[in-house]
Amino acid sequence: MHHANHYYGHSHVLARYCGLDDTDPPRLHGYLQHGWNIGDGLAPDHEYTPGVPSFLWSERTRRRAWSLGRRQGYVVGSPFAYLLAMNPLTDNDQREGTIWYPFHGWEGQHVVGDHDGLMAEIRRTEDGPVTVCLYWQEYRSAKLRQRYESAGFRVICHGYRGGWWKDLDPGFLHRQLAELRRHKRVASNRLCSAVFYGALAGCEPAVYGDPMHLENEKNAFGGQPRILREWAALHGPRVDPATAHRLAVDELGADRLLSPAELRRLLGWPMPASVPDAELTGVLTR
Amino acid sequence: MTELIGGEMIAWSDLDGTHGPAPAAGPEFGPLLATATGHTLVAGPHAADLIDALRTEQITLLVRGVPDAELLTARYAARPGVTVRCGSLEKLSGTYDTVVALDGLDRLLTTEAADLTWDETLAQLLSVLRPQGRLLLQVANLFGLHRLLALPPTPADTEWAPPDDPTRPTGPDAIRARLSAADVPVLRDYAAYPGALLGGEVLADPALRGFLEATLTAAPAPAQLADPARLIRGALRHNLADALAPAWLFVAGPGPAAPVALIAANASPATAAPSGGSTSATVAAVPPAADRPASAGSAGVGLVAGPVVAAEPASASSTRTGVAAGLLAAADRASAGSAGVGIAGARAEEVRREAGGRWVRGGGVPVPLGHTLEDLLVGAAQRRAVPVVRELLRAWQRSSAAGVPAGQVVVGADGVPHALRAGGKPVEALRRLAATLIAGGDTHLWPSPADEAELTALLAGMTGRELDPRDVPAAARAEPASIRELTIARDRLERELADARAKHEFYERQIANRDHDLKRLRQLNAVLSATVPGKAANTLVGGLKAGRRAVREVVRRSRG
Repeated sequence: MHHANHYYGHSHVLARYCGLDDTDPPRLHGYLQHGWNIGDGLAPDHEYTPGVPSFLWSERTRRRAWSLGRRQGYVVGSPFAYLLAMNPLTDNDQREGTIWYPFHGWEGQHVVGDHDGLMAEIRRTEDGPVTVCLYWQEYRSAKLRQRYESAGFRVICHGYRGGWWKDLDPGFLHRQLAELRRHKRVASNRLCSAVFYGALAGCEPAVYGDPMHLENEKNAFGGQPRILREWAALHGPRVDPATAHRLAVDELGADRLLSPAELRRLLGWPMPASVPDAELTGVLTR
Repeated sequence: MTELIGGEMIAWSDLDGTHGPAPAAGPEFGPLLATATGHTLVAGPHAADLIDALRTEQITLLVRGVPDAELLTARYAARPGVTVRCGSLEKLSGTYDTVVALDGLDRLLTTEAADLTWDETLAQLLSVLRPQGRLLLQVANLFGLHRLLALPPTPADTEWAPPDDPTRPTGPDAIRARLSAADVPVLRDYAAYPGALLGGEVLADPALRGFLEATLTAAPAPAQLADPARLIRGALRHNLADALAPAWLFVAGPGPAAPVALIAANASPATAAPSGGSTSATVAAVPPAADRPASAGSAGVGLVAGPVVAAEPASASSTRTGVAAGLLAAADRASAGSAGVGIAGARAEEVRREAGGRWVRGGGVPVPLGHTLEDLLVGAAQRRAVPVVRELLRAWQRSSAAGVPAGQVVVGADGVPHALRAGGKPVEALRRLAATLIAGGDTHLWPSPADEAELTALLAGMTGRELDPRDVPAAARAEPASIRELTIARDRLERELADARAKHEFYERQIANRDHDLKRLRQLNAVLSATVPGKAANTLVGGLKAGRRAVREVVRRSRG
């Protein structure tokens, strides 16, 4: 329905959860929220077709969308929460240090800010090894990458998020989860999906440092000042992990996950051939 | 023998339902009639099974129309204590130990009588009641929910004078006061709904809401402004079930105590047979609601008698419309043996509170306390509480009540669903719920467009079960019967059409983009094919294809 449904391998994760081929997820009949959002769940430049449902991460987002006239919102939870549900945390995870996500722009956007100042602050704050995860745009810039590396950070990139059905990366979220599970802390200079993902995946979150800004940044839905006010509890170098986890569960809809049968029906996906009929067909025997 | 007392109407029948509403009917009255003692007057049109329920030896039947009187005379020819009197109430002489007027006061006077007010008519009726006698009087509520929901009425033949006048009491309190003043104190009064007589104690207990809702909404409703189920549910919730009852029934004067509540066993879900076939066992077929005057002139249960007597399609008598009604149809059915749902099958059961405070019905079956599942589901859907909906659906579909319509399942505080009737297939119960949600406009929770089959499949999905919409069994097309539901359906279709058009445009744009991409790729392909590597590749592919063809040919020949 929309190319953004396949960002970060989201639809691939859902296809896997639904028992379908996760290398080639079927067309998803609706718009899937692809990032944490303080608006109606979808990107500001998103083109809406009336009557097409939006599959949102959280109840809070659904309420906001409704208030904005988007009546076709359905809370399904975030793909990351599904991925985590399929790969639950264990006590065997060897966690060390911090994974740091510097605020990044998306395709065509440029971040303006002082990376050196940020690196110094990270050094001052974090006492363990630090992995910096750059967005593919920044990662491609050897100069920027080297700056972080020379500061003693391990620099990684989870991959390309894909777009317009090209260069899709089904492994994006898997790699992100694997990295998060290797770290004790997750941090960023802006509250974003990654921080919530980390909090849900058992990391202690933190949001600190110069939040930087995008060229011509518009404060949609209140922007950064509103995020600071509404989610104040998640800001600072030390954040209460229990509070953060609870908020992550809410924002990522981790308590609102659907059964595969319901999710398939909602997304307009077929029943997998491998599903044993006898097991799942309680209503009607095929 | 028919005794013409004066004022009789020669070509008139109240029993056949053609000049006004069907006569008073309903098995729920049976136990009250069985307590009548002494010489009993049955004033006004009453269905045969009500008269049959009287156990007294001496009975006088008062009707206005000569054909009705003749019919009754013929029917009770073999019963010596029955006298049929035909004419207008004010001409009636004698006194009676019990006076039964379940059809109210509006069909006791004839065209030949002076217009009496409601109060004068009551005085006239009370004048034939012996002091210390027992009165069973039903009074239609002119502000009852059936009237609030009625389509604009056409005056019926029986309404040569309007039923309302300033002397008519406007509520049960006023009627009680009026009867007390006449020295006929009210022993008990009921909110009279089709198939149920509900005393104050029953209505006052909020824990019985689910059971009462299931009982009162079990019968299909005739065409009106809105589906009455919603209003009934609201009335119960807001303690207005008595004030908005279609009618009130008063048991006045000394005599045995009256039960706190009576429900028609067959009209209520309580004891329905597993086959689900016998729901209508009361009177006769009643003309379809649209044909019947929904006028203010109807006394007794009036228009709302419809649901009570509305027969299941399977019933032999149910397809009758119009003329054959009342005793005629009842007699037919009696003679038809078990082909129809016989009068004998209709019975009422008492709802009472045991010494320990527990509510039981009939022979001691506990009444489930709580809300109906449908009430809870619709409420949760309206609150957008998806997890609650999901939990309720799961608990229901995992229970033995899975095949019972949600409106006939009561969920207690423990969350356990209790079925009030035998069920069918779970998928049919889910489909019925989907239809209810769609008809009520309560589908905001789910992406649209969701027709019944799709929503059924989604509801099944919410319970974790796999169901393809194409596998949902077809249901008979239910015409939205009421204006509210029609408006909801129209708005929904309008929205769906607008959405479909928008989607169509979106797909058009998508196709145009894809066409553009395809064209570009083909051009690229053509350019690449003309290059040396491209030609080489083509030669290779061509050679491979030729080779495959040759092998196939050999295989075909060797097999042939």
